Amino acid sequence: MKGDNIIKEDKIRRFSTTRIIEHWMTIITLGILGVTGLSQKFYSLALSQWFIFQLGGIDNVRLIHRYTGIALSIVIAVHIIAGIIGVVFKKWQTSMIINKKDFLDAIHNIKYYIGIESHPARCDRYDYKQKFEYWGVLISGLLMVVTGMALWFPTLVTRFLPGEVIPTAKILHTNQAFLVFLIVALWHIYNSILSPEVFPLDTVIFTGKISKERMIHEHPLEYERLFNISLEGSEGEGIPKDKVAT
Amino acid sequence: MKSGERIILFLLSLFWVFIISIDSVSAADTALSEEAQKCLGCHAQLGIVKKFENNESVTAYVDAEKFKASVHNSLTCSDCHDEFSSDKHPARKFRSKKQYKIRSSLVCKHCHTDQQISAKPIHASLLGEESENKSHVCTDCHGSHSIMPVAGGKIFASEKQYCLSCHGHKLNMVFKDGETLALKVDALLIDASVHNKLTCSDCHYGFSSEEHPQRNFRTKRDYAIASAESCRRCHFDKYTKTMESIHYTMLSQGNLKAPVCTDCHGSHSIPPGGKEKNFVVKKCQRCHPEIYEIYAKSIHGKALISEHIQDVPICIDCHTAHNITDPRTSDYRERVPDICGNCHANKEIMEKYGLSTDVVKTYLSDFHGVTLGFYKKQKETLYKPARQIAVCTDCHGTHNISSVIGSDAAIIKANLAKRCQKCHEGATENFQDAWLSHYKPSLTRAPMVFIVSLIYRVFIPFAMIGLILQILLHIWRYAVTR
Repeated sequence: MKGDNIIKEDKIRRFSTTRIIEHWMTIITLGILGVTGLSQKFYSLALSQWFIFQLGGIDNVRLIHRYTGIALSIVIAVHIIAGIIGVVFKKWQTSMIINKKDFLDAIHNIKYYIGIESHPARCDRYDYKQKFEYWGVLISGLLMVVTGMALWFPTLVTRFLPGEVIPTAKILHTNQAFLVFLIVALWHIYNSILSPEVFPLDTVIFTGKISKERMIHEHPLEYERLFNISLEGSEGEGIPKDKVAT
Repeated sequence: MKSGERIILFLLSLFWVFIISIDSVSAADTALSEEAQKCLGCHAQLGIVKKFENNESVTAYVDAEKFKASVHNSLTCSDCHDEFSSDKHPARKFRSKKQYKIRSSLVCKHCHTDQQISAKPIHASLLGEESENKSHVCTDCHGSHSIMPVAGGKIFASEKQYCLSCHGHKLNMVFKDGETLALKVDALLIDASVHNKLTCSDCHYGFSSEEHPQRNFRTKRDYAIASAESCRRCHFDKYTKTMESIHYTMLSQGNLKAPVCTDCHGSHSIPPGGKEKNFVVKKCQRCHPEIYEIYAKSIHGKALISEHIQDVPICIDCHTAHNITDPRTSDYRERVPDICGNCHANKEIMEKYGLSTDVVKTYLSDFHGVTLGFYKKQKETLYKPARQIAVCTDCHGTHNISSVIGSDAAIIKANLAKRCQKCHEGATENFQDAWLSHYKPSLTRAPMVFIVSLIYRVFIPFAMIGLILQILLHIWRYAVTR
């Protein structure tokens, strides 16, 4: 049985070590890029100036930002290449692809929040929030890499493109980064730390393991698929323990 | 009450000293001669005057007390007024007061011979002029009946009057190298100058009616430099400022051509309100004519010289007047945006000429401006930046700033590419457009930048409100379901 390998006691294996490392790399690089980048975007704030001075001046901050940018570019490149290889050669599931159901789930959940629907949307391996966030961050990351390079090498870029591209790249780079920062600061931090469902911390991405209860609650379709059972009918809060396959 | 008694004793003794001293003065009081007493019978009356042909008049009143205190108190009237005596009082006719005075002064020479008085340099030069048919009147300086001993001769209404009694005439000072300096001071110029309330010794300290030290200078320039030191006694703030200036540095390194106070401000003729800009630039032009020529052709220079617009910057607006520093230093470079910003960020001034104040803001918020801002702050605490950052003058020039509107615009644009290449190696024609030429992005100027930034301005708040609503709904639902 497929389930035997995954389940250890009450925990189900969800992420491989590679994914955990990838997440750590993202935290570190985005963290550094965030503080060094935002302090440049909002350079007139006292806090930004203090921070820039702590790092030894604006030249240092720019240097750190650019080389961390290269590190993030590598993380993104490895992620994309590995993803393509995985999907093409290793028959990985394309569970991150956004489909029609995700939009329906989003609408369903809003209805649920308002009280029109009686239960939340039933999601597969990744729910729509996770998918949207993933693609949002990935596409923003690519945009950052491209516009960041244009800002780093403006003379090279303007050999092929009109000069206006550079200020446009600056607007794109700083605003998109700010948007990502706000999404991460608000949405991601809420969903993985502050939300009452996971507080004080959603540890899944750090340990790689998820509890059965949360699996049934948050990813029922995947659970059903993995264990080849139907949870339909017992959906909602308070699933009887004896009905859950071990 | 011992101390009270002491004070009374002290006051009493003071009183006695006072009485005795008055007594001794009256004891020394010479009795006037019989002749003098006779003369004073009339001449002690106020209001008797002698009239001249040109209707000028001179008082014939004599203050007996003053005469008694004078150095000539042992003489009688006819010793000087030789045509007069107790029984002779001829009627004399004079054309003018001046003629009368010259005539009267000749009497002095009966006792004070030319040889005797020429021992003093002032007298010697005056006597020299007499050979040129110029007459000098002894009494103008020394007074007549109230003539005092030379040592205490404070008989002038003012010190200025005393000094001008000689320096109002053609006097020369000869330096060791043979140069001469005219010492004649025009009283009218002094009266018209800002310093008309000062007396001569306020500036020429060491000189007074008692003292006239002989000073020896090698050259006229040495004298001018030394004299300018006088100004600091009152204008100490300005003087300290000049000590930071490149002119002072040059001077202290031995370049005597470097200007001192009086080179720009003049000496006796410092005019009040000499702040008219056309007038000020001329002062700098004297030593910096080439720069003046370039400036005169610039947009600022043209506006000043041909239109007399006082808002334009002149030399001292950028270089300052007293603490002029070397404009080639990086410290000066860093100040350039502030210097230009003094006017170009001032809405009130710019509106008059239809100019935008965005030019400074757009520079300061762009890459160059931000970097420069940090370099300025960092150099105190962290390190001195090795890189030079482009400032206003790198693209617009300094003394030769031309208008960016009209025919000059194309030249500026062409020069810009070259200027960019100085720092950005391999920059092409396209590269300069990466700088939006001080324009704020709009649909006509940099539409791509404008649209992208507009999208974000709408989308970021929209996305954030959506996410916050989601979170709030989620919390609410969670609380309700529990």
